[in-house]
Amino acid sequence: MSRDTQWPRYEVFKQDRPDKPHAAVGTVHAPDPEVALLNARDVFVRRPSCYSLWVAPESAVFKMTAYELETQPNWWVEELPEEAPEETYHIFNKQTQRRSMVAVTHVGEVTARSPREALRKAIESGQFVEKVAYMWWVVPESAIARSSEEDVLSMFEPAKDKTYRDQSYYTGGVFARRSQRRPEDIPLS
Amino acid sequence: MTDDRTYEEKLAEFEARIERGEKIEPGDWMPDEYRRQLIRMISQHAHSEVVGMLPEGAWIPHAPSLRRKMILIAKVQDEGGHGQYLYHAAESLGVDREELIEALLAGKAKYSNVFNYPTLTWADIGMIGWLVDGAAIKNQTMLAHSSYGPYSRAMVRICAEETFHYKQGKEMITLYAKGTPEQRQMAQDALNRWWWPALMMFGPPDSQSIHTETLMRWKIKIKTNDQLRQEFINEIVPEFLALGLEIPDPDLHYDEETGNWVIGEIDWDEFWRVIRGNGPMNRDRLAARREAHEKGKWVREALEAYAQRQAQAA
Repeated sequence: MSRDTQWPRYEVFKQDRPDKPHAAVGTVHAPDPEVALLNARDVFVRRPSCYSLWVAPESAVFKMTAYELETQPNWWVEELPEEAPEETYHIFNKQTQRRSMVAVTHVGEVTARSPREALRKAIESGQFVEKVAYMWWVVPESAIARSSEEDVLSMFEPAKDKTYRDQSYYTGGVFARRSQRRPEDIPLS
Repeated sequence: MTDDRTYEEKLAEFEARIERGEKIEPGDWMPDEYRRQLIRMISQHAHSEVVGMLPEGAWIPHAPSLRRKMILIAKVQDEGGHGQYLYHAAESLGVDREELIEALLAGKAKYSNVFNYPTLTWADIGMIGWLVDGAAIKNQTMLAHSSYGPYSRAMVRICAEETFHYKQGKEMITLYAKGTPEQRQMAQDALNRWWWPALMMFGPPDSQSIHTETLMRWKIKIKTNDQLRQEFINEIVPEFLALGLEIPDPDLHYDEETGNWVIGEIDWDEFWRVIRGNGPMNRDRLAARREAHEKGKWVREALEAYAQRQAQAA
């Protein structure tokens, strides 16, 4: 069998509302960023709400867990050429162990010459963590492809009309009676 | 620092982390067996979502109303999406989607036995939603607590969507059970055929389940097959009985002492026969997947060509 369906993986970051941060929801395979955005929409936005999608090649995302930072004390050591150009890096992290659909959430940007340097600056600044971070992702600005504001109407809004996709659509009639299932067995949100 | 710790020391710390309720993330140290068990479970789960589109997809052209057709299309789309979430979770462990899909198409991969049974009437669509997805949600709600971060997150996302599948099925079967004698008979007939395959979805009994001990120790699973099956039976039996439907099990009875609904013997010979490829629909399911893969080839080639041309133009 030919190997024809792999393609590069793209990390997908979804923003639910303009005032919410982007969060990592999963990956898609695609031959290019444009198709990655379309696939991301089909896989992760079958329901409301979405305001913006970012995709970045998985290979361009620098990831470190708290465990790695602890067990690799020299993780930040690297040799950078003197004139390595600075770039904007987006910083994401995970600060809770509660059950969640998302891996990491966007917390800000730093300017640095490499992903490692960006992460070191982000950690040292102390401004991206309240108590503890279990996972860090660093994404260079140049690796990100974005949906545009014009895409909202055609790509994301139609999901709002498909109310039958939502479990809350089925609350009347037969569901008016108190369910015998214990609430914790069916996640309702 | 990492290198001078022994395997035992790393394992002890790994198990302590799980005990504390921490999630294990890609990049963290994990025993090979943990990785192997996760790949086995997650890939089977992904394949089940993908093959699961077939029995229901077959009824899309025959839906009795536009409302039901839209609901069914949305549900089948969801199953395709769930397959993708799960392949993604498996890929975080170092396998790639293509090798998993190749294993499925080659008939080397397992998926849920329940999809090797045929959907004979429209009532099967409702019964699959309520009974089969109900059983799946029971399992997936437990897996949302799994110790492996990516698997847990995929499950949380899936459960939220799967609840719609369950509810549309329950709504349909309830209406049929309260409908005309013919509709009532259709609901009963669907229950008769799907009851036992749905109970088998929880897997072999604990006494025969070779993986259970390892999976529980590392909190990949937090309940055993038999525990989940019993919880599911206790919840769904009163609901069917309340609608006046009969459970196709002459030995079924309520045990006052334990508060359990006790079922008769599950035909495990049938379970193993179907797993080994000899169920009613195994060959058709694989043939349909292969055909879909082959027929989609030109789309993949076109996307590839487009990407190359864009790259050259840039």
